[in-house]
Amino acid sequence: METDEILDAIKALLVERLKFDPARAAEITPDTLLPQGLEGSLGLDSLDFIELAMGIEERCGITIDEQEDLAPHFESAGALADFVTARQERA
Amino acid sequence: MAGPSLASSASASPSRPDSGTRAAPRWYSHAYNRAELYRLAAAMGWLSRPARLWLARAIGRAAGRFFPVERATVRRTLEVMTGAGGARLDALTADVFRDFAMCFSDLVTINRQPLTRLAAHVSYAPGTERLDALESGLISLTAHVGNWELAGRLLARNAARPTHVVVAEEEMQNIERWVRRDGDGVRFVSRTAPTVSLGLVAALRRGEVVAVQGDRALGTRGDTLVPFFGHPAPFPRGPFVLARALRVPLVPAFCMLGPDHRYVVTMPEPLMVAAGAEEDALRSWVALLEDTVRRHPTQWFNFFDIWNPPRD
Repeated sequence: METDEILDAIKALLVERLKFDPARAAEITPDTLLPQGLEGSLGLDSLDFIELAMGIEERCGITIDEQEDLAPHFESAGALADFVTARQERA
Repeated sequence: MAGPSLASSASASPSRPDSGTRAAPRWYSHAYNRAELYRLAAAMGWLSRPARLWLARAIGRAAGRFFPVERATVRRTLEVMTGAGGARLDALTADVFRDFAMCFSDLVTINRQPLTRLAAHVSYAPGTERLDALESGLISLTAHVGNWELAGRLLARNAARPTHVVVAEEEMQNIERWVRRDGDGVRFVSRTAPTVSLGLVAALRRGEVVAVQGDRALGTRGDTLVPFFGHPAPFPRGPFVLARALRVPLVPAFCMLGPDHRYVVTMPEPLMVAAGAEEDALRSWVALLEDTVRRHPTQWFNFFDIWNPPRD
């Protein structure tokens, strides 16, 4: 999957699994911040990140089992798309 | 007993529930969270355990008089939990402070010993062998009853896998070194950011253990009201969402101080959470917790009103 496709997949997951308004999800760009607590972010909380991680595993065919801190990879939609792309290339 | 007062706030979108902007409960903010008390308890470590526990009992009984707010809360809580009144209720209230002092003394002394030496103070109830058959990642569910920290350490040893203990961001950083000591396969994970759950997902995928406290509401949309001793109280739904998503078992674990001053570890039947059944599993857990507290009411060490947690 190309990075743009992964970004579309993230938007779809936000709508399907996290119940975001489709119009709001459509406005998401690579710079859109994800975690609650960051100004202008989507406000995802710890439960949302569980659902998002599971959805990405299923849709993108990767397993999230890293020892490293995953927070930077889930800070923005673009960072997450890059992370998934890198994982798919490594697999 | 007054009903719970969870304030609701506006949704972020018509279809999506609010991510949670309620004030966080301030259950940690009690008079025992003082570094001097941890230091005093640790200094008693040179005594033999019988002598140390005798001294802890004496201090605990006296301490109840110096913490009138907590004492009144404990008394009201025990009244609901036991139905006791009068002199019997006063005695139970004093016993909470006595038992807490003993478990607190062990927390900063024997809990810090090598696990091989802990065996002298611990026995296992039938059923704990179930852990041996669990090969996948698992979530250990404990609560602030008995010596819960010891339960986590023993489970880490018996599971022979790294254990990630999820803890709240402590208000007073200076007591962390007393209660959160990495080692023996135990790693403490502070709940400082929403992305902390990603590390737990990865740990469970690697077949490791995640230990969480299942008795403290977070003041977020992840709280669910469940009857506890006949009155609705907020409990965290997060562990059940995690277990359902990762398809791993939840293993309840309690470590209660017995009359012979040995700890007894019990692990009831693991809970598997089916899709859409998180709240049912949470109710099962709360029923187990209620049963444990009913049998050990003086080892319920939450010094706040569980039905109406204080908030910022």
